[in-house]
Amino acid sequence: MPSTTQTSTTARDKGGAAPTAPPRSHPSRRRRPDRWLAWGFLAPVTVYLIAFYAYPLYRNVELSLRAYTVRSFVQGGAPFAGLDNYRTVLTDPAFGPTLTHTVVFTAASLAFQFTIGMALALFFHQHFPLSRTLRALILVPWLLPLIVSASTWSWLLNSDSGLVNAALGVVGIDGVNWLTSPGWSLTSVIIANVWIGIPFNLVVLYSGLQAIPTEMYEASALDGASGWQRFWGITFPLLRPVSLITLLLGLIYTLKVFDIIWIMTKGGPTGSSATLATWSYRLGFGNLLPEFGPGAAIGNLLIVLALIAGLVYIRIDRRQHLR
Amino acid sequence: MTGPSRRRRLAAVAVIALAVAAGSACSSSADDPTDGGAYLVWDPYPQFADDSEWVALLKKCGTSAGVTVERTGYDTTDLTNKALLAAQQGNSPDVLIVDNPVISTLAEAGALTTTDDNKLDVSAMEKNLLGAGQSEGKTYGVPIGANTLALYYNKDLLTAAGVDPAAIKDWTSLNAALSTVKAKGKKGITFSAIGTEEGSFQFLPWFWGSGAQLTSLDSPQAVSALALWADWLKQGYAPNSVINNTQTTSWQEFATGNYAFAENGTWQLANAEKLGFSYGTIAIPASAGGPAPAPTGGEFVSIPVQKNTGRYDKSQQIVACLTSADNLLTTDTTLSYVAPVAAVQDRQAADPKLKVWVEAVRAAKGRTGDNLGTKYPKISESLWTAVQSALSGGKSPQEALRAAQAAASTR
Amino acid sequence: MTTSPSRAWWKTGVGLVLTGLMLFPVYWMINVSFTRDQDMRATPPHLIPINGTLDGYRAVLDQQLPYLGTSFLVGLGTVALTVALAAPAGYALAKLRPPGGSALSFVLLIAQMIPGIIMAMGFYAIYLTLGVLNTLPGLILADTTLAVPFAVLIFTAFMSGIPDELLQAAVVDGAGRLRTFWSVVLPVSRNSIVTVSLFAFLWSWSDFIFASTLAGGGDHQPITLGIYHYIGNNNQQWNAIMATAVVASIPAAVLLILAQRYVSMGVTAGAVKD
Repeated sequence: MPSTTQTSTTARDKGGAAPTAPPRSHPSRRRRPDRWLAWGFLAPVTVYLIAFYAYPLYRNVELSLRAYTVRSFVQGGAPFAGLDNYRTVLTDPAFGPTLTHTVVFTAASLAFQFTIGMALALFFHQHFPLSRTLRALILVPWLLPLIVSASTWSWLLNSDSGLVNAALGVVGIDGVNWLTSPGWSLTSVIIANVWIGIPFNLVVLYSGLQAIPTEMYEASALDGASGWQRFWGITFPLLRPVSLITLLLGLIYTLKVFDIIWIMTKGGPTGSSATLATWSYRLGFGNLLPEFGPGAAIGNLLIVLALIAGLVYIRIDRRQHLR
Repeated sequence: MTGPSRRRRLAAVAVIALAVAAGSACSSSADDPTDGGAYLVWDPYPQFADDSEWVALLKKCGTSAGVTVERTGYDTTDLTNKALLAAQQGNSPDVLIVDNPVISTLAEAGALTTTDDNKLDVSAMEKNLLGAGQSEGKTYGVPIGANTLALYYNKDLLTAAGVDPAAIKDWTSLNAALSTVKAKGKKGITFSAIGTEEGSFQFLPWFWGSGAQLTSLDSPQAVSALALWADWLKQGYAPNSVINNTQTTSWQEFATGNYAFAENGTWQLANAEKLGFSYGTIAIPASAGGPAPAPTGGEFVSIPVQKNTGRYDKSQQIVACLTSADNLLTTDTTLSYVAPVAAVQDRQAADPKLKVWVEAVRAAKGRTGDNLGTKYPKISESLWTAVQSALSGGKSPQEALRAAQAAASTR
Repeated sequence: MTTSPSRAWWKTGVGLVLTGLMLFPVYWMINVSFTRDQDMRATPPHLIPINGTLDGYRAVLDQQLPYLGTSFLVGLGTVALTVALAAPAGYALAKLRPPGGSALSFVLLIAQMIPGIIMAMGFYAIYLTLGVLNTLPGLILADTTLAVPFAVLIFTAFMSGIPDELLQAAVVDGAGRLRTFWSVVLPVSRNSIVTVSLFAFLWSWSDFIFASTLAGGGDHQPITLGIYHYIGNNNQQWNAIMATAVVASIPAAVLLILAQRYVSMGVTAGAVKD
């Protein structure tokens, strides 16, 4: 234990410093074995990825390239259809609106989740009585199965017997048809999704904050920097790698969200809260007669969106390492 | 130079970990359905635990066929996917109980045996109920019980408002009753218009009651049915929440005692006894009078295709036992369903509370009947979409149904 | 950074309000779990369960407790396997930066985009062939796929913040890469291990799709499947559903609080000293 504390204090002393290039004392001697060793560390995960992700990924691509019916899904022998399923999806009149909903849903969810999560992380980073317990309690929503948390939200937002409208009524504002009017349904599912995403952002950003050495703040406090200046001058730059990964993961999880929307509105009324993910689910699994092909095609389009986001991330990340 | 040996050790550890995970798991699984052993039954009744009467009946039927039965209850929406997946992998259960519109999908997939293969005797079953399990002259399953929709009413509330439920014979008299109730400051009617099969199921009595056909969604009759619902929301006879209500939510609304009517099903009978007020039921009226044909609900028992066709014999005995007259009465009493066999229906109709329901079931129609089969899912999706867009004010009933007909006929 | 006690308590007050706001839907769930059917859709809604009922809890305590044990085992197994797989990978990607490393990170990103239901279908086919359907290790292995890509990326992000000098020093002391990893990198990364474990646990705790596809028929069912006892074909017993969620989250919440206390006490011990 003492030795651990020792090392972590050492780490803390230097943790914030921008990563500097290691002194290359023996470049030729260390390079090659390191490379092999690195893959030794990566071997378990690589084996794992191939064993468990390759087949589903292949399956999703294959489903989207063949003209599957329920019969050929069970019996096999679906004819190869090239990009027909993609064409069907892209030319569907629902594609445009659904894509817009996906972008709005993702952007709004990310912006609010991240900002609120960051604010809460900063707040709880100050040590005050009960801070740890309260922070742990904020995680409780994550313990609930989505069917429960999403149903609770539709309960609260119900037009007639929902608490939100009752509260608005007390203040003298007319109730809103949160889930049943095409104009509000998307907002409602965004609210619920932001709520679900806050704990994730809070926890990851909070552990990022913990890695920032307190000395950095003490030094700037001596300089007389205000809290706001300290945040933009120290916290935010040092939190950049963690913020970036939080946003990237948040983006991926938000693109993928379908259950919460499905439980609250089924993507309706009339598709007004449908995203690509709920559309894909509806086609493949939410109907009496599944259409696996177009469903998988939409799923793959989502993967492409995530790919683009990943490329952007790697660019930013690389620039950071070069600095 | 410790690098390489460490690397090897690390790799070995990884491989062992995976092997242990797989190996220890292997040893503990023994129930492969294709080689003798227990007969697997899947049902959509997760609410029945292992100590319930239903499971006891399954075990008993297994014993009398000389085999052991292993039963799993799945959530109903989950069961369709699960059944397709199992069929794809050649791992279907021996007996599968599913919601009736799913039968045509599974039959289309080639996952179910017909009565020609499995030698089930279905002659006792009522024709209007059996229809949902038939396609192109072949029968893919047996109904285990039927349910349908009717209007529950709050007797206390109607008495106070001075409305006589017996006088409600057509849409005009129903509208008059709703307007009287509304004028007394109470709420009229609640139902479920959610964007799923449930929404179509609830809309169909009105749709058929107008004289419309599923083959022509935009007929003037169909428009009049949708206009009826849309108008109820506009007049405030029905709450806006119906657009997102499941049948359970709508029942909870009725249970508050503030609603005069609720469109709901046979399965609520047990809960109806727990209401804080006295209730009654009437048939859903057709536009021009008389009871409207309601859709049949309820599950079918089927025998999925197996690699080992020798298993059908025992499966058939189990199913025959489940659907024998006495057992049907027990099962359908626990489920609050109406039996699919005339003789048992007569015994149920002796109970005055069930009489309305037995009559309603006799007048009911299968959704996938009329040889619609696997065309029904697409039609139904177009229909509930139209209902949703008309009720949420996006489109007029006419426009909504025209779009629905176009969507249903393109694919 | 010492604050006066009164100021600190004022912050506790704000913290309580914020937590209260965040947990309001959870309160609502508890409220519904005590509500009778006839009051569930009362207008206006009852803020507290007047005329409450314990029916929901009676049903749950009769039927659900065994499922909790399964959920715990699956959660702990998922945490252990996730950390074991992801921590070395994160270290390699962050510090050893092997060729092809960023391609691997990329694959990890993509891996998370495969819809859960497709993953579950894949596992079903694999498990059926191996005969591992309805087993605990099978479910644990499947649940780790929810957390492993996340874990590797998080470890990479956090471990790249470890100063190279520290690792270099260990190497100079004669430690190999494996020793360095074990006795320097892992202890310093306690924070990220906690974060990863937390999410691995939470994800496996609330997983439904793998549980239903891979363990639906067996003796090892987690609590999420228990909820489906109250979702019948036509009818849902909402007070029992919510009661299950309450009963399921209490022990896990206590565990979370204790774990956080224990771990962050260890971490901050160093910080408070200086």
